[in-house]
Amino acid sequence: MSQILRINTREKTYSFETPAEDIASLGGRALTSRMILNEVPATSHPLSKYNKLVFAPGLLSGSPAANSGRLSVGGKSPLTGGIKESNSGGLVSQKLARLGIKALVLEDKPEDDGFSMIVIKKDSVEFLAADEYAGVCNGDMITKLWERFGKRVATASIGVAGEQRLTSASIQFADPKGHPGRAAGRGGLGAVMGSKKIKAIVVDDKGTDRVPLHDPEAFKAVNKKWVELLTSHPVSGQGLPAFGTAVLVNVINEAGALPTKNFRTGRFDDAQSISGETMAANIEKRGGVAAEGCHPGCVIKCSQIYNDKDNNYLTSGFEYETIWAFGSHCLIKDLDDIAMMDRLCDDFGLDTIDTGVAIGIAMEGGIIPWGDGKAAIELLKKVGTGDPMGKIIGNGAAFTGQALGVDRVPVVKRQALPAYDPRAVKAVGVTYATTPMGADHTAGYGVCQNILGVGGSVDPLKKDNNVEISKTLQIATAAIDAAGLCLFVAFPILDNPEGLQMVVDMINARYGLSLVTDDVVNLGISILKDELEFNRRAGFTPKDDRLPDMFKEEVAPHNTTWDFTDEELAEAVKF
Amino acid sequence: MGSVLFNAFSFLQKKLKAQNIPCVNAVLALEDGQCVKDLLDDLGIAPQEIEGVFVNGKIAPLDTLLHDGDRIGVLPPGTPGPYRLLLGLVSSPNKESDKKPDSSK
Repeated sequence: MSQILRINTREKTYSFETPAEDIASLGGRALTSRMILNEVPATSHPLSKYNKLVFAPGLLSGSPAANSGRLSVGGKSPLTGGIKESNSGGLVSQKLARLGIKALVLEDKPEDDGFSMIVIKKDSVEFLAADEYAGVCNGDMITKLWERFGKRVATASIGVAGEQRLTSASIQFADPKGHPGRAAGRGGLGAVMGSKKIKAIVVDDKGTDRVPLHDPEAFKAVNKKWVELLTSHPVSGQGLPAFGTAVLVNVINEAGALPTKNFRTGRFDDAQSISGETMAANIEKRGGVAAEGCHPGCVIKCSQIYNDKDNNYLTSGFEYETIWAFGSHCLIKDLDDIAMMDRLCDDFGLDTIDTGVAIGIAMEGGIIPWGDGKAAIELLKKVGTGDPMGKIIGNGAAFTGQALGVDRVPVVKRQALPAYDPRAVKAVGVTYATTPMGADHTAGYGVCQNILGVGGSVDPLKKDNNVEISKTLQIATAAIDAAGLCLFVAFPILDNPEGLQMVVDMINARYGLSLVTDDVVNLGISILKDELEFNRRAGFTPKDDRLPDMFKEEVAPHNTTWDFTDEELAEAVKF
Repeated sequence: MGSVLFNAFSFLQKKLKAQNIPCVNAVLALEDGQCVKDLLDDLGIAPQEIEGVFVNGKIAPLDTLLHDGDRIGVLPPGTPGPYRLLLGLVSSPNKESDKKPDSSK
């Protein structure tokens, strides 16, 4: 049976333990959230020795199931003060699973200031001094770690933002090509890793066997159908590999839901210049890579390598939400400037959403002019020098708003809203308000309303049905996160009722279980209950499940407002 | 007579650009009584190339009558995002009345 690997960062010791009964069958987000609920006092300071940082592969991670290499990272968030699960690609999840490690838990914190790194191999767990890497950016860090420990070892590292324990700090992961383009970005978990003085974690699965499959033949048969399902669907098989998620810039703009100039309007005049179509054309022209996976075994390949005008590597994993945050939110229309800021965030280890929104708040506060991409880049670079202004930006949108005396701050539970205006796509607004994560679009992704029994069509501009849809999507998303699957499998599952059954069949063939689809729904509900309970203990109440007042203003072009009552919103998280 | 503002996205933008058909913030002449489908016919876009059409920012049926000053955006299959469902691009497969005529494809 897989083990829990506990690391005491103060004593620099480790131990393996057999998981207790209540967590033995859990993986991914289900496991991180249960362990945080059970083991972290909800009222503790997130940067104190009482907080823990849990890395857990999903239930299917390490198996041959396509798109199953996602990792959940959990802890108490320094940004929101509530529970956090941040999800990432990279190489760590599959390698931990192959090493038989169900969860890696960082505990306690050192009393001295020295940085360490942890190297996990088949027969060893080592602490190594890492002071020589202090101040090193994530891109260079991966290069150094691959030179030292071998190409394609898995890495998780923090940059200067995590070292400074800034509340937008991410944990960055090497992708299969060794770029730092994958992140557990949201909620400041990089600051938790920094508080425990762990600069990097290296996971090498050399010499391990494949993960055991209870019924290899059955697994193989389902996985074959699963791959066909993913590759034959127009979204996962064609749209995502061709344009990445950035294709949404034009679409969401057309829908009047692309937040522009700090959520003043739903359309950006220059959307075409920062669109996925423009990105794809630049990649073609400059010799980047249009489609690559964030982990081995990905058949969707929505990631990419984006080169600069001189055809040199600029950034990878260039996502819609990043382009929005530094783009229309800030009125910046030069895609290369935005790509540079994505690169800086990867290198410094910063969440691109909270950081981009914070830059817009700095424009709101008069620090730099709206739309000035070059000034925004210089401002962001201050995070790398430890300049006080950099510390303000690196602590996220809510902190920046407070520091600059700005009253127009789009956050829920102090986490910045992502790239969809809640007044024009109301179900996502309900998710922003009510998810235990703080404003998060991935907490209620577009999944299978048919399977979960929600009928009826949706009008994004009206309240009808949108609370129920958000609730359903939050349940389904939590379950996908527990399986270790990429969220984009949701698109084929949405359109093919057999899709969810395939996921269940693969879990059954992997572990020798006889789960049914209802069990998956119940798993999603139990995850949310754990997370809500942690937040309740931490002091959150229904008044924290609100959008800021700024959303009571009408937003063009549809001139809709945010008009849910507290009672209506409460239904979304009532189980 | 009048005009509409026309945009094509994703694969359709790529395709139309290759044919030198204006498809980025293009102003197209509108004849009286034209509906969405007529406009697509004029541009050589077949119904199966379309997953959804925005008329003034809302997903609308192909027989929607167009008016002077309307804004049209056409979207091929393959667009990601939770918003396929939430914007009404995809309706509930459970509900017969919501099914599109071509949903058997």
